[in-house]
Amino acid sequence: MLEWPASVQPLFIGGTLLWSGGLKCFGRSARRSAERSALASLVGEKRALPAYRLTGAVELALAIVLLAPPAFAAETVAAAALGVGFLAYLAYAKIFAPDSSCGCLSKKRTPVTWRGFARAGLMLVAALVGTQASVWWGRGLADRPLTAVLVVAEAALLVMLSPEADRLWLLPLRRARIRHRHPLADYSFEMPLESSIQQLLASPAYRQVSPLLKSGLRETWDEEDMRVLCYTAEYEGTVTTAVFAVPLRHYRPDDVRVALVDESTESTLLVSA
Amino acid sequence: MPSTDRRRFLTSAVLGSTAVAGATALGSLAPEAAFAATPRLELEPGTRDPNFAEGRVTAISGSMLKVSGSDKTLYRIYVTHGTSVWKLRPTTFDQIKVGDGMYARGVPMPDGSLAADSVWVNIVNLDAAITAIDSGRLHLDHHGNKVVGHVVSGTTAAVYNNTPAISDLSGLQVGKHVKVIGAWRPDTNEVDIATVYAGI
Repeated sequence: MLEWPASVQPLFIGGTLLWSGGLKCFGRSARRSAERSALASLVGEKRALPAYRLTGAVELALAIVLLAPPAFAAETVAAAALGVGFLAYLAYAKIFAPDSSCGCLSKKRTPVTWRGFARAGLMLVAALVGTQASVWWGRGLADRPLTAVLVVAEAALLVMLSPEADRLWLLPLRRARIRHRHPLADYSFEMPLESSIQQLLASPAYRQVSPLLKSGLRETWDEEDMRVLCYTAEYEGTVTTAVFAVPLRHYRPDDVRVALVDESTESTLLVSA
Repeated sequence: MPSTDRRRFLTSAVLGSTAVAGATALGSLAPEAAFAATPRLELEPGTRDPNFAEGRVTAISGSMLKVSGSDKTLYRIYVTHGTSVWKLRPTTFDQIKVGDGMYARGVPMPDGSLAADSVWVNIVNLDAAITAIDSGRLHLDHHGNKVVGHVVSGTTAAVYNNTPAISDLSGLQVGKHVKVIGAWRPDTNEVDIATVYAGI
């Protein structure tokens, strides 16, 4: 029963290994990927790159024998062994080097997550199924063209489980959804505090008293069409409250007013002319 | 003074039309004079800034915070009526909780404590990429780590291309880079967003 799906597994596994092995051996940023991967803590910084390249070479060699006829069960058994080894490597990375990148299928930095495990699991299952194959995948495909659908589905699943490929399909999908209806659209006329602070910082009143200010923004409230902002200031040896009034609905930094108030004596020491 | 009366008094001080007796009009205050009034402290490179403290709040008693710095320095920080407290927005001392992270600036006291002028609680500054947007939340990728940014209605503001801040976040796009100023929720990967800076 497993015969027909088994026959195309070497194609799927071989293709994937070609991708990942090629990247490890010939990728331009292989050195960086190797150093960021958990290999660095597994075999040491110096040996990370050779170990990374060696893994790539093994993957490439296995890919070639898997893709080339005829089909030997030993090939897929070797692929399954590689899958087990890779799962063990991911578990090691997750436990002992959680900050490292998995360094698997792209130069993009991707921490080890459940998707990495699921992807390695997919490869292992494919290899185990593949051990049941008795004919070469080319022959299998020719006999039953519909098995191509299975290979495409597996490849799609692989891409879905690869964080490296999110940029290609997941983000555009999310962008399209947001273009349709943005969940954070806010059509209220509420004036954020940050906007008033920006106006305050651009005002002549603030520029004049800013050297006296000691604290950050202490409190704020709205007064009809003005927003009041209070800071602590020190003026001629007295701790005072610097009270600013900023236009709420308009951008008119020149209209910002300020008063320095001594709250202990309820007296105003300085006020905008 | 009750707080509503106090606010009315402060509002009338800055907006009142009647001239305030004894108050100097601002025009006479030259900036040079103001700068001269604040003594500048020169620091040798590599020495600790005596006006600064940072760390996690380990205890709160009265108006004092006990803070354990990230280099294990222990600080005692006094918060007064004149101290500004920021925790997502300007707030009051009673909003500070044990376990919060904080930065403080102030004046060192003879007993080794710090009288704080400003305290910023749980403040974070993240450069991140937006990976997803759903209602009330931004999902962010911060150097490979997932961070959830909560939008707080009435507080969260967006600044696009350095234009004035607005409360409409519909200019944010999945895949784009943003800078987020917000308040960390201690011991989680979640922040409440104060301001998000983005390009359009």
